[in-house]
Amino acid sequence: MTNRPKRYALAIDAKKCIDCKACVVACRAENGVPLGKSRNWINEELRGDWPKLMEVFEPEQCHHCEEPACVRVCPTGASYQRPDGVVAINRSECVGCRYCMIACPYDARFFRDDLGVVEKCDLCARRLDRGELPACVETCPSKVRIFGDLNDPTSEIHQILEKRQYRVKKREAGTGPQIYYLL
Amino acid sequence: MNRRGFLKLATGGAVGATLLQAEACGMPLRQQKVAKVPAPRLEIPTTCDMCVNKCSLIAIVQGGVVKKLNPNPENPKSRGMLCARGNAGIQQLYDPARIKHPMMRTGERGEGKWKVVSWDEALDFTAQKLSAVKEKYGPQGTLWSSSESFQEQFFRNLGQAFGSPNSVRHPTLCLASVNLAYSLTFGTVPSFDVQNARYIIMSGANRLESFITPDTMDLVASTTDRKARLVYLDPRFTKTAAKADEWYPIRPGTDLAFILAMLNVIIGENRYDKEFVSTYCSGFEQLAEHVKQYSPDWAAEETQISSKHILRVAREFSDAAPRAMYYAGRRSSWYRDDFSMRRGQAILNAIIGNWDRQGGMVPNAKVELGELMFLPWDDPTAPRVDELDRNFPLAAKGDGVYLRLRENVIAGQPYPVKGWMVYKQDPVSGIPDQDKTLQMLRQMDFVGVIDIQMSDTAWFADVILPESTYLERLDPVEMLAGIRPVVVYRQPVVKPLYDTKPLLEIVQGVAKRLNLSQYFDYTMEQWIAEQVKALPMDLPLEYLKKHGVYSSAQFPKYGTTLTPDHRFVTKSGKIELLSRRLQEAGYDPLPIYHPPTQVPEGQFRLVLGRHAFFTHASTTNYPWLNSFSTENTLWIHPKPADSLGIKDSDRIEVASGSGSIRIKARVTPKIRPDCVFMQHGFGKHSPWLRLANSGGSDAQLLETAWDKVSGGAAMHETFVKVRKV
Repeated sequence: MTNRPKRYALAIDAKKCIDCKACVVACRAENGVPLGKSRNWINEELRGDWPKLMEVFEPEQCHHCEEPACVRVCPTGASYQRPDGVVAINRSECVGCRYCMIACPYDARFFRDDLGVVEKCDLCARRLDRGELPACVETCPSKVRIFGDLNDPTSEIHQILEKRQYRVKKREAGTGPQIYYLL
Repeated sequence: MNRRGFLKLATGGAVGATLLQAEACGMPLRQQKVAKVPAPRLEIPTTCDMCVNKCSLIAIVQGGVVKKLNPNPENPKSRGMLCARGNAGIQQLYDPARIKHPMMRTGERGEGKWKVVSWDEALDFTAQKLSAVKEKYGPQGTLWSSSESFQEQFFRNLGQAFGSPNSVRHPTLCLASVNLAYSLTFGTVPSFDVQNARYIIMSGANRLESFITPDTMDLVASTTDRKARLVYLDPRFTKTAAKADEWYPIRPGTDLAFILAMLNVIIGENRYDKEFVSTYCSGFEQLAEHVKQYSPDWAAEETQISSKHILRVAREFSDAAPRAMYYAGRRSSWYRDDFSMRRGQAILNAIIGNWDRQGGMVPNAKVELGELMFLPWDDPTAPRVDELDRNFPLAAKGDGVYLRLRENVIAGQPYPVKGWMVYKQDPVSGIPDQDKTLQMLRQMDFVGVIDIQMSDTAWFADVILPESTYLERLDPVEMLAGIRPVVVYRQPVVKPLYDTKPLLEIVQGVAKRLNLSQYFDYTMEQWIAEQVKALPMDLPLEYLKKHGVYSSAQFPKYGTTLTPDHRFVTKSGKIELLSRRLQEAGYDPLPIYHPPTQVPEGQFRLVLGRHAFFTHASTTNYPWLNSFSTENTLWIHPKPADSLGIKDSDRIEVASGSGSIRIKARVTPKIRPDCVFMQHGFGKHSPWLRLANSGGSDAQLLETAWDKVSGGAAMHETFVKVRKV
């Protein structure tokens, strides 16, 4: 899909999400996210009226865009994209100007008052570097998220995106989001 | 955290404060740059204890601090997942509200005046008080309440060795009616092979919010990947309802009518498994005659589910057999005749022939463990205080019947009970009709609590003996029977943070002072060594230490009981559609429908349920979990809310015959207009559980009522009035 050697991405099978919050707590534990903030979240939408109700749950986090607006606007280079596509923040370079928070079409970033820096999902970069899955992917009871290298034709994510239809959110923002919601 | 790292960071005052806060919340601290040689990162497999599922996990430990709990994919029951509560296990370990030392009450009960004492002092006091009760009232004057843990047996053994017949456990607040109904039908309580089912009916078993492994995960995978059909009956639009193919907001208490009408259709249209029924079942003719009266049209009136749907579901269900199941609930303590409903389910499953078949019900397989032999004691001679033999002759003796027991203790009948030892249980906030529990507690000469946190019951205790948490503890090996049985191992991942002990040592401490040491003359290590001897490998303990779990590839096995000479553990040796033991005990041998009490005009039926991020009343104080629901609310349908002038988030008063609470309203179409719902585990008394002091306690509202056969609490038989305040 890109000319990178590796392109990490997420496919999300939201139909399997039961809104149990395991991913949210796993992320908090793994990344020391303070209460009141979250690197990942679950959108809920209730439609219809009693008794014809329908409710959908849709996990979301940083979309690790191919053309990340947050990286483009960052004045210090703190926000950067790794060769594997993961968009990350170098805390020591972040001056807390928060331009990136405005630029992000997905509202995936938040400011840490305690540290004076912006923070967001980095797909658990430290875990990836150890060869582990992101905490949210691993812990999920119903295995909603499929994580992997899009450029590896043997990967589950590559294969599932060849087989199944999907959508991305806010394609019109033009940032090339890399969370693929399976239909 | 290492001291050098702390000092370096503490140079910025604000940052230091934040770190202290982070430490208090159990958050993993970032690696410090100053540490030249980082402490090794250990991965220690162990077993979760945040709920009853016993999932396998791997603790990431660095420098004596638990950094993260990851799922352990080697366990075929927990299937490589760790839920929100499991992930928050770190907060149990580092919870500031933990009981850190033995404590004794200095003020009145519940006044909150405590002194920290030594273990010797606390254990001496406990033993003296128990002895004083024994001297005055006999050993039967003591009550031993406990909930499930790998060490619970030691507590129960102490009660018995002391001479008390009065142990009381949680089943009659939970699954006693299901257990009894399936046992009387099949001679055992089976598991459900959700993974391979094609058609699943669930009655109020909110399996996607009330986790049971592996059923919860299998249910999602079955209904999405494998297109199994899920038909779900619940007065509330739960997350399970959101995922179901069909959701029917059934009139509460009428599930048996739905089941009987299904039996009527399946038998009337000859859709049952004739060969299976004639080979393995008894009482079919009487059943067929009995269900003739229960037509779909009749059931439609009762359940408010149209007969068209009942008819279709019955046909689809039998068409999908044997890969079809009427899934048994777990907390089945709902109505006064709950047992009959569960028997109806069991019978329905039986006649479609899903017994011991892939995608149906499967008797639990086991892995053999060894047992350490210890000196036996004489069985207690006094009858139980809940008079089970007379009141509930078929109920499980060792579990007792909680609400009946409480009535008798309050009345001092048939004899006084004045000493209460409680282990890992919070009857004050966990049991219906809190005023009565407090009344029972107040009449005690002595209340001793063994727990990890200052529960509401601990708050009213005379002495608190703090147990080490599961991440600090070596426990007996536990075998979890199931379709894929597993053996799980719990080893300490850090040393105890405080002056706490594992239960066995607490029990031994009390036993020594009561001159009962001879019955507890072993160590945990010896106990475990005997257990693992039976595992089929050379170095079983080393294996468990390394893997945390053992399972065998020979499972699942289907059909082991499907030989015509197989004897089921029932009176007739067959699957009993008509139960001879029920008949002999004077109960209806076939399930008879009794309509539920009508909801009185202007009132609502209070229904209970679970959220996936809370375990009963025990985890609402952990910030990571509490943040999803900082207080509980009363769900009320927009229509009645409107006529009562109640808007979303309004403060309301909810009153029953037992008590009243104030709570916020949540106006939502996700509940029947004649019901209200609230989450368990809030409105706590104990100021140590600050985050759970918000909202209201269902225990204050629920009235005392029980199922007449199993003794299970009837927790959906309370009607409440609601008004804006």
